[in-house]
Amino acid sequence: MSNESRNNNSNAATLHPIEKSLLKALPSDGTSITVDRLAERASLSIDQTRRGIEWLKFKNLVSVSETSTSTISLGPLGHKAARSGLPERRLVKAIKEGNSTMAEVLASGMLDNDEINAAISGARRNHWIQLTEGKMVATPLADVQSPEEIFLSRITDIGLDSTNLSVENKKVIENLKKRPEYLVMKEVKYPQISISEIGKMILPMIEREKSKERKLTSELITSGKWKEVEFSALDVEAPAPAVYPGRRHPLVDIIEEVKEIFVGLGFSEIDGPVVQSGFWNFDALFTPQDHPAREMQDTFYISGQRQQIPATSEQKRKVAEVHKKGWSTKWNIKEAESMVLRTHTTPVTLRHLAMIKPEVGRYFSVGRVFRNEKVSYKHLVEFHQVEGVATAPLASLRDLMGLQKEFYAKMGIKKVKFWPTFFPYTEPSLQSMVYNEKLEKWVELFGMGIFRPEVTEPLGIKNRVLAWGGGLERIAMFRFRLHDVRELYGNRLAWLRSVPRCQL
Amino acid sequence: MAQERAKMPVVNIKVERLKRLVPGVKVNKVLNAMPFVALDIEGIDNNIIRVEYNPNRPDFSSDYGIVRALRGLLGIETGAPKFKLAGKSGLEIEVDQAVKRIRPYVAGLVARNGKLNDETIKQLISMQEDLHNGLGRRRKKASIGIHNLDGIKFPVTYKTVSGDYTFEPLGESSNQSIDRILKESETGKQYGRILKGLGRYPVIVDSAGATISFPPIINGNVTKVDKNCRNLFVEVTATDQKAAEDALAIIAVTLYDAGFEIRTVTIDSGKKVETPQMKPKVISADIGYVNSILGMAFDAKQAIDYLKKSRLDAKASGKKIICTVPRYRIDINHPIDIAEEVAIGYGIFNLEPTFPASPTAGQKNLLSTYFCAIREALTGLGMIEALSFSLTSREVQYNAFGITGKDALAVDGSKSLEHEILRDSLIPALLQSLSRNVHEEYPQRLFEIGKTFHKNGALTERWNVGGVITHVDAGYTEIRSVMQALIKSCFGRDAITKAAQNTMFMEGRSAEIVIDGMLMGTIGEVTPLALENFKLRMPVAAFEIDLSHIIKDK
Repeated sequence: MSNESRNNNSNAATLHPIEKSLLKALPSDGTSITVDRLAERASLSIDQTRRGIEWLKFKNLVSVSETSTSTISLGPLGHKAARSGLPERRLVKAIKEGNSTMAEVLASGMLDNDEINAAISGARRNHWIQLTEGKMVATPLADVQSPEEIFLSRITDIGLDSTNLSVENKKVIENLKKRPEYLVMKEVKYPQISISEIGKMILPMIEREKSKERKLTSELITSGKWKEVEFSALDVEAPAPAVYPGRRHPLVDIIEEVKEIFVGLGFSEIDGPVVQSGFWNFDALFTPQDHPAREMQDTFYISGQRQQIPATSEQKRKVAEVHKKGWSTKWNIKEAESMVLRTHTTPVTLRHLAMIKPEVGRYFSVGRVFRNEKVSYKHLVEFHQVEGVATAPLASLRDLMGLQKEFYAKMGIKKVKFWPTFFPYTEPSLQSMVYNEKLEKWVELFGMGIFRPEVTEPLGIKNRVLAWGGGLERIAMFRFRLHDVRELYGNRLAWLRSVPRCQL
Repeated sequence: MAQERAKMPVVNIKVERLKRLVPGVKVNKVLNAMPFVALDIEGIDNNIIRVEYNPNRPDFSSDYGIVRALRGLLGIETGAPKFKLAGKSGLEIEVDQAVKRIRPYVAGLVARNGKLNDETIKQLISMQEDLHNGLGRRRKKASIGIHNLDGIKFPVTYKTVSGDYTFEPLGESSNQSIDRILKESETGKQYGRILKGLGRYPVIVDSAGATISFPPIINGNVTKVDKNCRNLFVEVTATDQKAAEDALAIIAVTLYDAGFEIRTVTIDSGKKVETPQMKPKVISADIGYVNSILGMAFDAKQAIDYLKKSRLDAKASGKKIICTVPRYRIDINHPIDIAEEVAIGYGIFNLEPTFPASPTAGQKNLLSTYFCAIREALTGLGMIEALSFSLTSREVQYNAFGITGKDALAVDGSKSLEHEILRDSLIPALLQSLSRNVHEEYPQRLFEIGKTFHKNGALTERWNVGGVITHVDAGYTEIRSVMQALIKSCFGRDAITKAAQNTMFMEGRSAEIVIDGMLMGTIGEVTPLALENFKLRMPVAAFEIDLSHIIKDK
């Protein structure tokens, strides 16, 4: 709705009670009055009045003009003069009390040192004193008030409106202005409100509206009185105060979406510990013990903790064997017993496969993984990884590519290509590149491969295992157009409240 | 998956050199082929292409190695790359037995009659660095010295010396002691720890007494290589013999491709051995196996053609393919690796994905189902879900509540103080989240479902749900309403609260949550001390429930 159409649609029925009161309180002849005056006449608070004026102004029912007044108020010396008289007046007083020389006047305490010159010249200008034989004498004119005195006495605490002053008074002001700190001049702007032509037309309708009920109360419903009353219309076009629904975290939205896709492709969910032994996180995955990824620089080790490896002695023996055969370096069970924050979810899927040894099966896992990284706009120490595995006697690389393509298609990603790559525990290994329509470029997403025989055989997993996985934060960043991955864990309400649940 | 991706080594290739080394093919076509031999183009600036390669292919550590693979895939040159040892050099490295407990292995080669230019030297240095970091495990496992052959009086001796032994290290103009080199030089400081505590230090000294190498730290100045060198001596010292031989084989083929003639060096450690040994590996793979891995139906001839495009030699023998793998391809050890080489030679871009019908029906697990229910209940109550890290700081987890000296589960060597311990409760991070939102509209209601970590004997992981509510009038009654509604609507139980003190909560406004007679959580109004520490301005009421008991028995 444009403002304009809202303005023209104003009618008495949609007015708020405050608006009605204000319109009725304004002089119907179109005379302007101040906000204070209007509040008084409408018996509303200043805040209600101000708010109501804004609404009415928007609807063109009132016009607001800005008027300014200048006020004069007393400065510090002006206040002093108001209390105990101008210096020249105090001088005359002192003289009348019998002090006739300057020294005597000062000794009387009625004048300060720095006032005496102004006092004498002021008194002489007013013809209040005469000098005879070095002594000051008061004249009869000393009993007459000076124009300055008269003017100062008119200035009250709230100041004096100086908009319409006489020529004489203006002259007095000029004189007083020459004496610093007597007067303070201020210009004050204030709005004046008057009813507009449209407002005048609506006024009679308000009278008619008056008999209508605004609120449909329980009492009206149950008593049946509703049949007898008319209800006022509301301003249904006005915006309402903001409220925020509870919601899942946007990243959880993606996680749930991914889970649904997996289930649709025939995969069942598995879950497992975050803290894994080095054995399951690395050794069982044919990652040599001197592999750089196993260093403390890359992987979080739990301080001072070791674990009895949750594997059978046969599994341990066979894993040790393939390491000795495949990697010339020594294999140390101590390394395998260390406890790490899993660097991928693969130990979870692998342990599951090693435990139930399925002939055929499809499983997936979503969970947090950890890397000892410096946190930055593109790196976190902790993030979510999703992983799928499919095992079948004749599972092939092309099947893996097909599953992947289907998975992406369900996420709305149409263009996918595959590049060869390397992971220590899969062969062949591929990485998928997907075309991001928003960024208009190819970006790397999930890695995948077939578990190496060195991984499956020692654990007694008979058939080939296709595996793929990757981080979900990356997908979230693309979807929510984030430039800083930390936003996903910052829990800033401004962001959480603003992300739409459905991406159109 | 995606374990390796973070730090891959990089080779810089000049477009000019690429044009010369892959003649007759448009540069764009060469670039397009790169990803299909597992090379990632990281960027191109000023006619230099930055190419990332995977650590399983140390033979890609120079442009020579990369070109070798590309020429194969592009069909310019197929089969095992040409390489021939020119015979023995007759030169010898004598090995003193004392190196056995320090750095036991040494291997070497001689490269003659080659020409070096700035770019070739750059490639050799970058290859050496990559081999040091990868195969050599930052020089610990193996390190390489490349020398001007013509300055050396053979035989050379590989032996050990003490820390006060002096020689003129590369780039210096005076003798320095080993102790000083380790203390002051850049490489000494970086790699000195490899030799720490061994007491003696390995050196290679020629028969005129000149020190040519102090592995794995630095070469001697006397054998410095520049572009006028025609003849090179390369030595690799190692704690692992295979690593030494692998590195030397890669250097041998690279120098051969750079135009040198390669001759062997005799290693005399009691028994005399010639290095490098370039004998290829023979691996046979069943054609049926290869086809079933790939999902293809290649005949032997096709498979052999593709292997040749992957720069391997192969022949058919019945149902088997006998594959001859050049010595430098250290990544090929198993028939499965042969299958991958067939796929790469065939072209990954030619592989059509096939979608296998599902043999099983899929299902989410019970945990997911419960969590969905909890999310639904709490979001229905107007709460917004938060996600925080399980790795947090002592500051947030304990100090902010005035708790000190708690024995937490810590990780070693974290790069960030914000992530030093595993959380044992969700409330602290929720308060931390509120502290980032003091300027946002109230009321604010957050919850999180997350793992917490506990050490009582063994390490245990538990799933918790926690919630916080803050606004001008937030308090115990409101949070209890939310908590009891959650338990009732999700699990059909009535939650009981029993007054109990908790450091996080104000005295007299703190309780334990009991469900089915079991203690399952805590609830209360957060202490003003904690509010102040988190710079919060409004009262906060919070609860946290350990879901493990509820979930465990299912």
